[in-house]
Amino acid sequence: MLRMIANRLATAILSLAILITIVFFMTHATPGGPAFSILGQKATPQAVQQLNARLGLAAPLWQQYLLWWWHLLQGRLGYSYLLNRPVTQLVGDYMMNTLALYVGAILLSLVLSIGIGLVQGVTYGRWPARLIGALQLSLYALPTFFVGTMFILYFGVKWGVLPTGGITNLRLEQPGLLDYGRHLALPVLTIGLLGVSGLSRYFGTSVHEELGKDYVRTALAKGLTFRAVLFKHVLRNALRPLVTILGLAFPGIFAGSVLVETVFNYPGLGYLLWRSALSQDYPVISAIVLLIGALTVIGNLLADLVNGLLDPRERYE
Amino acid sequence: MSAALTLDQLSVALKRGRGKPIAVLDDINLTVNAGEMTALVGESGSGKTIASLGVIRLLPRSAEVSGRVMLAGTDLTALTESEMRRVRGRDIGMVFQNPLSALNPTTRVGNQIAEVYRLHTGETDRAARARALDLLGEVGIPDPSDRLDDYPHQFSGGMRQRVMIAMALACSPKLLIADEPTTGLDLLVARQILALLSRLRREHRMGVLFITHDLSIVEEHADQVHVLYAGKSVEWGTARSFFAQPRHPYSQALLGAVPRLGQTRLASIPGNLPDPETRPPGCRFAPRCAFREPACETAYPAPETTGGTMFACRRGREINPAAMLDAVLDDPAPIAAPSRGTALEVTKLGVDYERTATSFFQGMIGRKDKMRALSDISFSLRQGECLGIVGQSGSGKSTLGRAVLQMISYQGHVILNGEAFDTMPRQQRKLARRRIQVVFQDPKESMNPRMRIGDIVAEPLKLAGMRGQRARMAQAAALLDRVGLSERMLNLFPGSVSGGQAQRIAIARALATNPGIIVLDEPTSSLDVSTQALLLNLLKDLARQDGLSYMLISHDIAAVSYMADRIAVLNGGAMVEFGTAQDVLTRPTNAYTRELIAASPHFRTNQPGGPTETMEFNPSTVQPSAV
Repeated sequence: MLRMIANRLATAILSLAILITIVFFMTHATPGGPAFSILGQKATPQAVQQLNARLGLAAPLWQQYLLWWWHLLQGRLGYSYLLNRPVTQLVGDYMMNTLALYVGAILLSLVLSIGIGLVQGVTYGRWPARLIGALQLSLYALPTFFVGTMFILYFGVKWGVLPTGGITNLRLEQPGLLDYGRHLALPVLTIGLLGVSGLSRYFGTSVHEELGKDYVRTALAKGLTFRAVLFKHVLRNALRPLVTILGLAFPGIFAGSVLVETVFNYPGLGYLLWRSALSQDYPVISAIVLLIGALTVIGNLLADLVNGLLDPRERYE
Repeated sequence: MSAALTLDQLSVALKRGRGKPIAVLDDINLTVNAGEMTALVGESGSGKTIASLGVIRLLPRSAEVSGRVMLAGTDLTALTESEMRRVRGRDIGMVFQNPLSALNPTTRVGNQIAEVYRLHTGETDRAARARALDLLGEVGIPDPSDRLDDYPHQFSGGMRQRVMIAMALACSPKLLIADEPTTGLDLLVARQILALLSRLRREHRMGVLFITHDLSIVEEHADQVHVLYAGKSVEWGTARSFFAQPRHPYSQALLGAVPRLGQTRLASIPGNLPDPETRPPGCRFAPRCAFREPACETAYPAPETTGGTMFACRRGREINPAAMLDAVLDDPAPIAAPSRGTALEVTKLGVDYERTATSFFQGMIGRKDKMRALSDISFSLRQGECLGIVGQSGSGKSTLGRAVLQMISYQGHVILNGEAFDTMPRQQRKLARRRIQVVFQDPKESMNPRMRIGDIVAEPLKLAGMRGQRARMAQAAALLDRVGLSERMLNLFPGSVSGGQAQRIAIARALATNPGIIVLDEPTSSLDVSTQALLLNLLKDLARQDGLSYMLISHDIAAVSYMADRIAVLNGGAMVEFGTAQDVLTRPTNAYTRELIAASPHFRTNQPGGPTETMEFNPSTVQPSAV
C-alpha cells in the first residue's frame, strides 16, 4: 500500500510539473504578450517596451520560465493587472467560496447518485429503472444556466425562501454560518444536480453488473438476505468505478461553476475567471487554471487512494 | 443408509422474455445418501446446474418448479423464503465453479468464511474467526493463521477452491453441492480437491452432490452416478455397476470420448445438443444415436433396470460398449504424405520474464526483477509429428509456445527450415512467421466479436496480401469445409456459435496461410468431452492429410497421449522428461511425470484405495512456478 501511494504521488507531481509548464507557455505565447492587454489603447511600441522591461517580460523565454518556477515555489504568482492586488491573495479569497461550493455539490451528487443508482441497478430492466433512466436523460439535457435561473425564479423570487445571489446578506451585522449556508444552497443544488444525472446512471450500471457476478450467488447461497448481499458485498465493489470518475470530475464541475457562479453572482473562482478573461488579466487566469489543474490532479490521486482502500487488488503495482 | 437429499420428480421450466415457459429439467429423481457422493453428470446445456440451483431455490424468479426436494425429511419447496434462507449455508453448503469469481474479491477470505458461520449460529466475531481458522486448516491450507486475512486473488486456483469448500463446511451442512468445482483446474489439483471432498464427506457424514461434465474424474470417488441429457435422466444407479457396464448409448459415448492410452480413435457423438425449444418428442438422444429405431423418435422409453442401474433406452440391454465403439468410430483419414523431415528445431531456448518495475522510482532508474520462466529447452519437431508439451499451470509450457511463435523475446534459437529466426532479415522473418500458426484455449475470447466469421477466417489471407473480398470469402468457405463447418457460417458473428464450433473456426483461421506448424495451446480445455473428442479427431485427420506438425500444449495428459508422437514434460521452466509418447507414459523416469500420470484417470489401476487415494496433498514434487 505504501509503495502504491509513493507511486501515485510521484505520478501526481510529474503531472503537476507538466501542467505548470503548459500554462506558462500558453500565457507567454499569446499574440502581443501581456503588455498589449494591460496598456489597451495606449499600447505604443515604446510603452510596450517599457512595460515589458518592468514586468521582466523582455528577458529570454527560458529565463522567464525558470523565474516563473522560482516564484511559484515561493507562492508568488504576480499581481493582477486589473485589480493591482497580489494574485495569491485574490485567488485565496475566492477559493474558499469555491471549495465550499464544490464539496457541497459533490457530497450532494454522491449521496443522490448512490441512492438512485442502487434502485436503478436492482430494478434493472423493470419500470423503476426505466423511469429513472428517462429522468436522468432529461435532467442531463437541461443547460446549467437554465436550471440555475429557474431555481432563482422559484426559490428566490416566487417563494422567497432562499437568497438568489452573493455570499452574505449585507444588511445583517453578523452574517454567521447559517446565512452563508442559505446563500450556498441554490448554487450547490444546481451544480450537484447536474452531476447526479451522469453519476447515478454510471453507478446504476455498475450495481447491475456486480449483481450479475458469481460472488453474489455465493453470498445468497450462504443464506444472506438480498439486502445484506447488496450492502455488504455489492456496494463496495460497485463503488470503485464511481470513485474513479468522481476523481476526474473537477474540470467538469469547474466548467459548470463558471456559469453557475455567474448566474448566482457567487464570488468564486469561476466568477473570477470569467471577469479576468474579459479583461485579459493573465496572472489571475493562469493562477486559476493552475489551481483547477492542481485540484484535478489531487482529486485523481484521492480517487486512486480510495480505490486502493476499497479493492485490495489495486494496492499492488 | 439415510438420505441427505431426495429429488422427487423435480421439473423446472424457464421463461425467456415474454414467451411460454420452456421445460429445461424434466422429472428428475435422485438421491444423495448421507456420507456418500452422487455424481450428477451431463454436458453443458443438460440442466445440471439448473437442478442444483433448484435445490437451494436460487433460480430466476420467473422459473416454474414442480416436484419435491426433500432434505433430510423436509420438503424445501414448501418452505417460505425466510425459512429457506436458514437452510442455505446451514444445511446445504455450495461450492461453485471458478472460485476466483465466486468469492468476493474485496473481502478477506477469513471474513467470508466467518460471515456464514456468524449468520447461522449467532456466535461472536471472535468465535467465528476461530472457526474460520479451524476450517482453513481442515481443508488443507498451509499456515492457515497467516492466510486468514488474505484476499482471494492471493491464492492459487486450487487453494481458492479449498477456501470455497471451507466456507461451505462452516455450519457442518447435511448436504454439500459442488457445481463443477474442478473445471478449470489442473488435473493434479482437481484430484486433490476430489480427494478432499471424499475425506470430508466420510468424516462429517455429509452427502455430496457432485456436478460435472467429466465422468472420468468421478469414477473412483462417486457412490452413485446420475447422467442427464437435455434435461432428462438417461441412466442412473450405483457407480460400481454404472462404470462396469454403462447401458445407455449416451453414457457409453461419454466414456468413449475420454482419451485413453493406446487408443487410435476417440468415440465422438455427431451433431449438437438440442435447444430446449426444439427437443425431440421421443428419446432426446435419438437424433444423435447410432442405435436408434423408429420407435425411439416417437415416445420416451420407460426406464429399465439391470443390476445396480436404471436406464431409459429401448436397446440398452442388447448393446454393449464394444458394439458401441464400432458403431460410432469413424475412420481416420489416410496418411497422405508420410515425410519425416525436420519442421522446426529449438536449441537452448530460455526466457526471462522482467517483472514490471515494482515502483515508479525503480522504473525511473531501470531496475527490474528478472524471473527465469524457461531455461535450456532443446527439441526438434518433425514434419507430420505431434509433440505434446505437458505440465501444470506455471510450468512454462505456454511461454514456450509464445517463444516459438516469436511473440516474446528469448535466448537460444528457434530454427525453421534450417534458418534461425534471430538471424533472419526482417522481411524474411515476417514471412517465416506465417509458417507457424496458433490456436488458443478460449476460441471466443480470441476472436473479435464484431467481425463476421468469414472475415475472421480470411484475415490472415488479407494480411498475406490476397486481394478481392469475393476470392477471400471463397477461400474462407473452403477452409470452413475442411474443419467440417458449413459455409453458412461465413456471415455469422462469434457470439452465435457454440464453443466447439468456435474452436473449429480458430483452426480454420490457423490453416489459412497454409502453415507447416500449428501451436495448439490448451485447445480443448474449455470444451465438453464429446466436443473435445470431435476436435481431437479432426486435428488428427488434418495432420495425416497435410503433414502438419503440432505443438500440443496441455495439462491434460490423456488428451496429449491420444495425439502426441513424442512428449516433453515441463516443470518449473525446465524440461524434466522427453521421449516417445509410449516411453514417457509407460516408463516415466521422473517423479513429477509419474505424478502427472497418476492423476490422469485412465493410466492408473482401477481399484479404489489405490495409490491416488493417498496423494491428496503432496507438493513436494511440484516445483514452485516460475511466473
